[in-house]
Amino acid sequence: MKEDKLIEAFGADEPRLRSHVRQFFGVVWANIKILLAYKSWVIMDLLSTVASVVMYYFVGLQVDPLRLAQSGWGTSYLAFSMVGVATSHYLWSCLTRLSHSIQHEIRAGTLETVAVTPINILTFFIGQTARGYLVSLIFLVGVFVVGIIGLGAQFSANPSSIGTAILLFLLMLVTNQALGLVAAGIIMVHKRGDPVAFIVAAMNEFLAGVLYPLEMLKEFPPLQAISMAFPYTHALDGMRRALILGSSLADTAVMADVLVLSGFSLLLVPAGLAVLDWGYRTIRMRGTTSSY
Amino acid sequence: MRIEEIISFLGEPVPRSEVGVTEKVKAFVIRDSKTWWTYKLWVLLDIVGSLTFVATYYFVSQIVNTDALVRSGYSADFLTFTVIGISFQHYVWSSVSSLSEAIREEQWAGTMETILSSRTSFKVFLLGESVFRFLVGSYFLVASLGMGLIIGAKFNVTWGSALSVAVLAALLIMSHMVVGVLGAGAILKLKQGDPIVWAFSWLTQLFSGVLYPLGLLPDYLQWVGAAFPLTFSLDGLRRCLMNGEDLTSIIIFSDVLNLALFIVIMLPISLWFFKKAYDSTRQEGALGQY
Repeated sequence: MKEDKLIEAFGADEPRLRSHVRQFFGVVWANIKILLAYKSWVIMDLLSTVASVVMYYFVGLQVDPLRLAQSGWGTSYLAFSMVGVATSHYLWSCLTRLSHSIQHEIRAGTLETVAVTPINILTFFIGQTARGYLVSLIFLVGVFVVGIIGLGAQFSANPSSIGTAILLFLLMLVTNQALGLVAAGIIMVHKRGDPVAFIVAAMNEFLAGVLYPLEMLKEFPPLQAISMAFPYTHALDGMRRALILGSSLADTAVMADVLVLSGFSLLLVPAGLAVLDWGYRTIRMRGTTSSY
Repeated sequence: MRIEEIISFLGEPVPRSEVGVTEKVKAFVIRDSKTWWTYKLWVLLDIVGSLTFVATYYFVSQIVNTDALVRSGYSADFLTFTVIGISFQHYVWSSVSSLSEAIREEQWAGTMETILSSRTSFKVFLLGESVFRFLVGSYFLVASLGMGLIIGAKFNVTWGSALSVAVLAALLIMSHMVVGVLGAGAILKLKQGDPIVWAFSWLTQLFSGVLYPLGLLPDYLQWVGAAFPLTFSLDGLRRCLMNGEDLTSIIIFSDVLNLALFIVIMLPISLWFFKKAYDSTRQEGALGQY
């Protein structure tokens, strides 16, 4: 047998299990079990949810309703900040969950073990992100329940605007998860640090208008231009229009947000998948799947 | 040889004081700073993260009415109020939480038992880790306050108020080292999800007046803030840095007394708690487990 054929024989991918759905639920179930093993952590996270909403309720007591209304977002700072805080938690999950779990697997030495099982690695990665989505969903629902029922936050949503908000939310997930794939690909190769996710998350918190109306950035055109480069800025603007002002897809500003986010999705999803694939192939070629 | 003699022989404590505590703490600081400096990109990103967080409140300050601040005895400047609140809260939180993280890190890396089987006691280990964390925290504190100055925060500092800030800062560090020791004890036992650091982080954000004056809280919630040293520290520091007051002010003096009282009461309790957790973990043989 020639050398090339030997290399080819050893380099051939193992056949993977075909049922992606079963594999996906297997990984999700494993993650839920791990999550529930840390009951005190789950309770603490739920209490943190309540605490964060209450904190912005008190911050809102200092906000001048007239100045907020001049920016076009009604007079309730609590409602305004709730949409920002609840979705930014999700954003953080999209950006970091996968890279953090990969980092964890590498450190625990289990990524190599997973890689030699018949599981499809992409399905494994998707399953890993699902835990972050689940936890953030609990946070998101908790924020709205505490805010609306406990603290009386006012929203002007209707069935059509809620549907619009959900569409924008899904587009936010797709675009930011694509950025999370880029971060995960980089972390697999460089092992430590999560610079892409960190920069994107910090800049989003600062420039997407999580805690203040985006109109304030008009005085700083360079910052405003940068903020427009983040998909989350458009998602947050659209979701606020839908939930606070009751707008739907018929509103041109909301439609513009949807179109911009769709454009981002078309660009970012293939790029994210390519970087993740590059990262995974690189560490397998270098034999650094379990080194950190 | 009788069994008692063997036990007595094996149980003989190893002498641990050949190298002075100062030398050991210095060695910890040098070791940790070398590790920290290896990740230069992260040092830069951490600073960027802190600065953007502070800068966010520049924009929030544009829509805020300062009546509540004035009613609570501070000058009408929400930006300076939040810059001080965020900077010092982040300072103590990062210092306290990173101490627990350091213990977790040593457990993960399997180096916890290695260090403790050397002639370094856990108290020295804890002190060494704490000093480095507070030094790094101070670096970020200066960066945050500097960023505040650049974006328009106004500090009204006199010699008297600067001296008072130094006293309050020293008490702030000491009181939070106490909290750090409590957290370290909890993480030794629980391994994950340190409830003391968590409670400290969220409860102080809610009740210590980081982003709003305590006067905005209902009366029945204001007393909760009195349980945390950060509440008195922030009140005193803000009065010094925003109003130019000093220790001759009755309110600031009472803040200092409250902080000193907290340290006197909580220091022995936290050391006792830590010793209990440490002894119990050693007995279980779980010191290096994660």
